[in-house]
Amino acid sequence: MKKTSIYKAFLVATAALTLGSCDDFLDIQPTGRVIITTAKEFRQMLTQAYSIVPEDRGLATFRSDEMTMDATLSQEDISSFRDIWTWNDVSPDDATSTFGWRSYYQVIYEANHAIQSRDKITEGSEAEINQIVGESYMLRAYMHFLLVNLYGEPYTALADPYFSKAVPLKLDTDPYTVLSRSSVGAVFDQIIADIDAAEKLINVEEWQVGLNYRFTTTSVDALRSRVYLYMGRWSDALAAAKRVLAKKAALADLNSELPNAYNSVESIVALEEVMTATYARAAKVNRDLFRAYNSNDLRRSKYYKQVTASNIQLLKGGSNQYACTMRTGEIYLNAAEAALEAGNAAEARSYLLPLMESRYKPAYYAERKAAVEAMSTEELREEIYAERRRELAFEGHRWFDLRRTTRPELTKTWGSDTYTLSAGDSRYTVRIPSAAIAANPNLAN
Amino acid sequence: MKRILSVVLLAMAGLLSASAADVLIKGTVIAAEDGEPLIGATVVVTAKELKRAGSSRINVSTMTDIDGHFSLSVPEGVREIESRYVGYGNATVALAAGQGDVVIKMTSAATELSEVVVTGYQKIEKRKLTASIQTVSVDDNMLGSAMNIDQALAGQVSGLASTATSGAPGASPKIRIRGTASLNGTQDPLWVLDGIPLEGTEIPSMEELKDIDNIYSTAVAGINPADIESITVLKDAAATAIYGARAANGVIVITTKSGKAGKTKVNFSTRLTVSPRQGIGRLNLLNSSEKVDLELALLGSDFTYRSGKGEVARIISAAGQTGAFIAGGWAALTSDTQQRIDALRAINTDWNDILFRDTFNQEYNLSLSGGNEKATYYTSLGYQDERGNVVGVEANRFNMTAKTTYRLSRKLKVGASLFANRRVNKSNMTDADGFTNPVYYSRRANPYMTPYSADGSYNYDTDIQGRGDSDLKFNIFEERNGTDYELETKSVAAIFDGEFRFNEQLKAITQVGLQLDDTNKAQVADAETYTMRKDIERTTLSILDGKSFLPDGGKKLASSSTSSQITWKLQGEYSAKFANMHEVEAMVGTEIRKTWYKSISANGYGYDRKTLQTKPVIFPNETWAKLYPLYNESYVENAFASFFATGSYTLKQRYTLGGSVRFDGSDMFGVAKKYRFLPLYSVSGLWRLSDEPWLEESEWLNNLALRASYGIQGNIDKNTSSYVMGDYQNVTILPGNTEEMISVSTPPNSKLRWEKTKTFTAGVDLGVLNNAINLSVDFYTRKGSDLIATQMLALESGFASMLVNWASLRNTGVEISIGTRNIHTKDFMWMTNFNFAYNNNKVLREQIPENQTTPGREGYPVGAIFALKQAGIDDEGYPLFYNKQGEKVTATELLKLNAAGASTLTAAEQRDLYSYIGSSEPLFSGGFNNTFTYRNWELAVNFIFNLKMFVRCQPSYSLANFDRGMNTNRDILDRWTPENPGGSFPRLINSTDRPAEYIQYAEFGLYEMSDAWVKRCDYVRLQNLRLAYTLPSELTKKAHLEKVTVGVEGRNLIVFGSNYKNYLDPETMGNQFAQPIPKSVSLNVSVGF
Repeated sequence: MKKTSIYKAFLVATAALTLGSCDDFLDIQPTGRVIITTAKEFRQMLTQAYSIVPEDRGLATFRSDEMTMDATLSQEDISSFRDIWTWNDVSPDDATSTFGWRSYYQVIYEANHAIQSRDKITEGSEAEINQIVGESYMLRAYMHFLLVNLYGEPYTALADPYFSKAVPLKLDTDPYTVLSRSSVGAVFDQIIADIDAAEKLINVEEWQVGLNYRFTTTSVDALRSRVYLYMGRWSDALAAAKRVLAKKAALADLNSELPNAYNSVESIVALEEVMTATYARAAKVNRDLFRAYNSNDLRRSKYYKQVTASNIQLLKGGSNQYACTMRTGEIYLNAAEAALEAGNAAEARSYLLPLMESRYKPAYYAERKAAVEAMSTEELREEIYAERRRELAFEGHRWFDLRRTTRPELTKTWGSDTYTLSAGDSRYTVRIPSAAIAANPNLAN
Repeated sequence: MKRILSVVLLAMAGLLSASAADVLIKGTVIAAEDGEPLIGATVVVTAKELKRAGSSRINVSTMTDIDGHFSLSVPEGVREIESRYVGYGNATVALAAGQGDVVIKMTSAATELSEVVVTGYQKIEKRKLTASIQTVSVDDNMLGSAMNIDQALAGQVSGLASTATSGAPGASPKIRIRGTASLNGTQDPLWVLDGIPLEGTEIPSMEELKDIDNIYSTAVAGINPADIESITVLKDAAATAIYGARAANGVIVITTKSGKAGKTKVNFSTRLTVSPRQGIGRLNLLNSSEKVDLELALLGSDFTYRSGKGEVARIISAAGQTGAFIAGGWAALTSDTQQRIDALRAINTDWNDILFRDTFNQEYNLSLSGGNEKATYYTSLGYQDERGNVVGVEANRFNMTAKTTYRLSRKLKVGASLFANRRVNKSNMTDADGFTNPVYYSRRANPYMTPYSADGSYNYDTDIQGRGDSDLKFNIFEERNGTDYELETKSVAAIFDGEFRFNEQLKAITQVGLQLDDTNKAQVADAETYTMRKDIERTTLSILDGKSFLPDGGKKLASSSTSSQITWKLQGEYSAKFANMHEVEAMVGTEIRKTWYKSISANGYGYDRKTLQTKPVIFPNETWAKLYPLYNESYVENAFASFFATGSYTLKQRYTLGGSVRFDGSDMFGVAKKYRFLPLYSVSGLWRLSDEPWLEESEWLNNLALRASYGIQGNIDKNTSSYVMGDYQNVTILPGNTEEMISVSTPPNSKLRWEKTKTFTAGVDLGVLNNAINLSVDFYTRKGSDLIATQMLALESGFASMLVNWASLRNTGVEISIGTRNIHTKDFMWMTNFNFAYNNNKVLREQIPENQTTPGREGYPVGAIFALKQAGIDDEGYPLFYNKQGEKVTATELLKLNAAGASTLTAAEQRDLYSYIGSSEPLFSGGFNNTFTYRNWELAVNFIFNLKMFVRCQPSYSLANFDRGMNTNRDILDRWTPENPGGSFPRLINSTDRPAEYIQYAEFGLYEMSDAWVKRCDYVRLQNLRLAYTLPSELTKKAHLEKVTVGVEGRNLIVFGSNYKNYLDPETMGNQFAQPIPKSVSLNVSVGF
């Protein structure tokens, strides 16, 4: 009898000691880990999405005609960028930087998650939630836009944009689906649809400086004007640009700030650094580009620093101080180009001239103004292109602009070697990374 | 039915008649060492004795009470009784007529491991053992010159495969028990030290191990092998289920030595080991003349990859004769240039010789043990110093162990053990490019280079990486002198255990274990090193007028981490015997465990080793500050709770039925509470045939038993959740505004299920001819279903990979271990121990993702190697392949390449192109150990073998990206060239002739998939050869010593293997940069007082 009671007591003690406190014991909140449910958490997830947007518009600068490379650069920069600079897509050095792929889709995944969770997001006002979902549509549109411009043939160069395959459109969060490439036309259609969806939700007109990497109501039309411009839908591009300028038309005073600074009066979205610290380190400004600025052009000394005749350094990049995805300067140029192509040269001049006025010394501006006013349509088109090249240099526009407009022949020299990208060369479209094809063979077709 | 009834009636009659003509024997069972009564010992009259006495009774036995007393009615005519007790040898006492109380003294069987098996939770009598468990006693012979216990296990246990990971000092081998069970997470077994599972025993993945720079030290490496009494390996589910989910890969239980009552014993041993530097002649590297000729040939050819690399190209280019050479060849060079090139041929630097060294390693151990009936103790000190063959690579360890057991009363016993060690691993810092690693460098540096110039200054190697004129200077000796990498680990494991015995049936055991590992890592680079120059180059910015923002001087990267655990176990054990033939044992218990991991790292720049000062870093902006973090911290905490029970029932001492069950719970975040606990169970049975009356009288048969068990184990990935989860981080997107963000690293996975493994084992144990032959055969099938594995995702998902329930697979195997005493005379004995394992692994079902381009393994082993059948080379030197129709086709035709070098075949069509070659896991493995004893001499010869396994090797040279600035093996001399159209290897290809194929070879790794690089790998290694001599006892007694042994051992002296051309050893085949597995000779002296 005694034995049994001891035995029982032991069992009870054991059970009491452990069972009772077990669930508490196992309730450990892992440090720094969270299930994303509230509006605040979705916002923090989007912050991460914004932070991983690839800086490929900066990397594409190496492919355009904006910079020069030579043997005085560091070994690391040479092996990272030389083969991009020489359009050597067939046999690049092992260490060559690659254009992004997965990062774009990771941003898209997080955007898709927010879009799909719209009705389930807790602890947020409707406006707040709408803003988050609206920004997600904008992010998805912008990522697809960057992808299609890197890896798809230029929309404006295609007889039938629905015939040429570009990149897969990812519109859900299912990790298992293996997609095929959608056509250039289909991707652009989706981009426009996403911008339209964003417009209905997004409600913040301006974020405070520091948070202005986020999309706003103004940015909806700003992106639209660029997308339509790239499609050659001139009147749509013009209409969108006008709506932006109606809200925000300020141009920077170059004596006090650079127009692509994140806190400039021109800033609409200050997301991409474009010329990152690494890119800026390897960037030597092309002498032809430098020569394109007249000595009366304020930008010449604000954008660049000439050390020697051949060594011209870039001042408008190299840190997040110069984060700029969209700014009013671009909108003026979009409007001018769209108006001209839509057949209204006078209206085109009305957008080009204010920009020129703020960039040149007054006496020289007067001279240029007279010249612009006397220009034929053809000359004016060239002038708008030239001004666009000067104004937006090293802001990630040039490569895309070359693609969508004339796709001219480009040549570069390294020592005694000359490299040529012939007019309309297939290398105006970047090859999809091998790693992406290895993970999805459908991309080869 | 009628028959059963009559048996029962007969048995009852037997019981009733017990008192008919019986004699009542009373007595006490005590331990021989300390005279303590043994509680719960079984006192029996053996069946044989009963039969001899002519008794009709089947079973006469009883158990001792809490004072060790017993009384037993034995039939008349019985002349002896036997006492059995866990952990003690059976004792037989003759009965004399009219004698009073019988005192049975039992001797501890600690040295006689055959009687009891320690599972870490329980001690199980071997006669009741239903599981597959193998025990190895640890002695000098078994250890050899191994620094760590895990290194000594190779070839000792059937079904345990051990693969050396690298030859670096203190490097742990990769251990697999009964093949690969799961592909997710760790495949390493669970290590248990005196009942407490150890943390921090994972071996880094093979990829990280390919170089010696990645210094690591596992918890197992901290244990002094000299303190270990025995190693028990638990192999099947019946044995491991009690350890729960962590035991899915098997369990290795370490039992350390403890003191015994009696005279204090002092033991001192030392081992001095010499390990010579090993030549790398087997690698067939080019000599200077061959390398110069190769560079000349390449410079004149159309192969342009890194054409400026190599001294020959530099000499010709500096003389401005590159164009002339390409047009006119050697004759077009000026005689001065020719002389300078020819001068290179005369230099033949043996990099292996100057970077490696002969080593001398030392080990000393001193132990004291003893005690009395109230307390016993074991104390030891150990020191070990091991130097790697690479200069500057070394490891040392200092151990102290103290174990004490107190017998506070007859009912209460407590023990406390403390294992402390400090271990240091040293190496040099290496750069991420890997070139600064001496093993890599010795195989890649050009033989015509010299490290020092005539005036003693450093010669810098400019063929390091990249292309163009590198101004970064690299010299391996400067690097070795200027950098340091030190890992210091301080570990303490403390175990407290208490045992309280309520009565002869019931006892409670509790155990508290604490493990603390404190690791400090310091990496230092001086200003004048390649490592530092590289940092400076990387941080030199135009916005700083071409200066670096890092201050002048070196750098120091320091980190420290603390990993600790506390485990508390409480269990009750019940064992009883009824009616002399029913034995019941039961154990219930609970275990809770908590682990913590904390790490802090700090980096300083402008560091000076002499003053220990750093300088402030002034970052130009936040972007750069992010790239050069000065401080980082992390913290992880986990909790586990488990309940477990085991039970066994033995009938008539020969039929045993056992079972165990365990519920494991852990803190899974983002998972419903009901999934927190996972049940694991096993059932098992044993039939001891040799104890059947009809076999017991057999003179030749000592032991025959049949075992069978079945168990289920499970596992789930702790980090998988069906919700979108993320980790908090800080981010600064725009200046001056740092925000919290949530980083999503894996997609949610609502489809992931538990991974389950079902194991069935059947075994036979046989001992015949007075145990001259002991045979143990195990057959097992182990079926894993819903196995979790990482699956590559299409990158458009946003993620590179995720975990899926990938497949089910089955391991079927046979393990045989045979121990024989071949010759046994008065002076001479020859014993053989052969263990052999066959494991056939087959994937039963596999879910192949739509995007996978290599074949699925359904129907093949999990380590299946698939390759494209190469059909030699075509008349332009490009590889040809066989397509499925058996036709020879080019890569373009085979893969239907598009202009960008990508295959336009669907993933399924690409899968179809491959052929199965073989498995990367050996089909047969084992060891063959022989021990010869002649008087005081002992000779041990141990072999291990691995048969029928395949390895995918790296091609000797890359077709598209061969870097002529580096050395390579002689295969490249036999490549196809227009002058050598009969060459057996493909040509070096340029990007212009067949651009699509070029991209395939350069970026998609097509050539690596050729079956030409899949090699068969079989080998037998003479693991150790040991000769030992024990001084005659007359001699030692005169010197007041107890035992003196001197041994000489050679380790890893010979390896016989299938063709391993161009590699140092079949074991490291496939990796040209593996450290050679050291050969060594050691002298071992052991003195006992």
